[in-house]
Amino acid sequence: MRSFIALLVAGFALSGVPGAQAYHRFWAGCNYDAPTFMTTMTRDAAQDYANAARYEGYQWGGGCWNYDDVDSYPNDPPQVAGTHGEGGDCSGLTFKTWRESTDTWRDGRYYWHALRNVHGPYDAAAFRDGTGAPNHTVAKATAGVMDAFASATHIGMVFVRSLYGGDQIVEAKCEACGTNIFYRTYRGDSAYGGVGRWGWTG
Amino acid sequence: MGLDRLMAAAAVSAVFAAAGCGHGGSRPTRLLDGRPALSFTPVRASVVAAGRVLTRSELGRRLDACISAADRAKVAPGTIVVERVSVAGESLTFANRDRSGVFACDAGIDPAGERAPPWCHAVFGELADGRVLDPRLDVICRDRERHPLAYVFVDPVPGARWVGVQQHDYVELYEVLGGLPVRLATTSGIDVEQARARLEMTQYDAEGRELVRGELEATVAG
Repeated sequence: MRSFIALLVAGFALSGVPGAQAYHRFWAGCNYDAPTFMTTMTRDAAQDYANAARYEGYQWGGGCWNYDDVDSYPNDPPQVAGTHGEGGDCSGLTFKTWRESTDTWRDGRYYWHALRNVHGPYDAAAFRDGTGAPNHTVAKATAGVMDAFASATHIGMVFVRSLYGGDQIVEAKCEACGTNIFYRTYRGDSAYGGVGRWGWTG
Repeated sequence: MGLDRLMAAAAVSAVFAAAGCGHGGSRPTRLLDGRPALSFTPVRASVVAAGRVLTRSELGRRLDACISAADRAKVAPGTIVVERVSVAGESLTFANRDRSGVFACDAGIDPAGERAPPWCHAVFGELADGRVLDPRLDVICRDRERHPLAYVFVDPVPGARWVGVQQHDYVELYEVLGGLPVRLATTSGIDVEQARARLEMTQYDAEGRELVRGELEATVAG
């Protein structure tokens, strides 16, 4: 009984920790709502969508985030899914930004709210290979805004093209680095290929 | 090679299973390529997936058709490749040159119709001390009836000779081969919408003694 009471007290004490509160508030908001079918999809809107995911963290296999500019559950173990951390991973962020369907044969446009926990069926290698009806490979030299560069283990989208070899890439990079815009030289890296999304309307 | 060793082992009796032979109502009698499905007597209602160890050169274009040109350069000609054929799936597993990662070619129908059979997807998993950090779940493929077909890597525990996965009415057994993680296929426990799979796994030693049992929850990631 004493140990039970001690655990109870410890539990209450821990539940008062701001980080724990933020985590519980965050995960409680994640949902499995259906996406909204859209007729349009512009590169500007995709930039806005990915930009809004900055600072929201990174979660292996994840796809749920809010817009408070804080990773509500930082430092969860790398390459472990199901810890309910905040943020997408690299392919999850790309999937949602590119408004893709969970059915690989559908090439329509599906808007996923930030708090909709969805990753999609593609890993980075699948994107790199142009797998799925909405995706295709592009020449790296011609990859433009909101096209992407993908390797066997990572994918990042071009936020702004640069003239000098690198690009500003919006990506969910790792647990420690979170989701943000970074200067990267994927365009010149032989491990990376160019990838695009069919169906931009502007 | 895997099946040959199984059939030769005196301690293990493998028998051909005929339709309706009492191993379970709908236990399959054939593997994907049409060969008879063997059972492993110590494990009830089991079906043994065929497995053999080859080299990349022996497979030739069959392997090259599955991975990208960039990845082909990372695989040495003499690399060991484990080929598996199960009831619903077929796969190749092989490591890269420095064994920092493992590739898998997963067979099935590509629902988007972009990849020619047999391969519908290839995955890459990073290795740490010979173990995959993530199961590298693949939910892109479909089986011949166009039902969801998933593939995952499983790390065998020390002493394990067989990895079993519970399918609908039988246990499918995969032999541990080539010192590589076991790539297994399943048609059970798949949630395509959430890009997730939940599998009931059991690992056995060479005599069929259960070593470890548990549930594997895998998510498409990275």
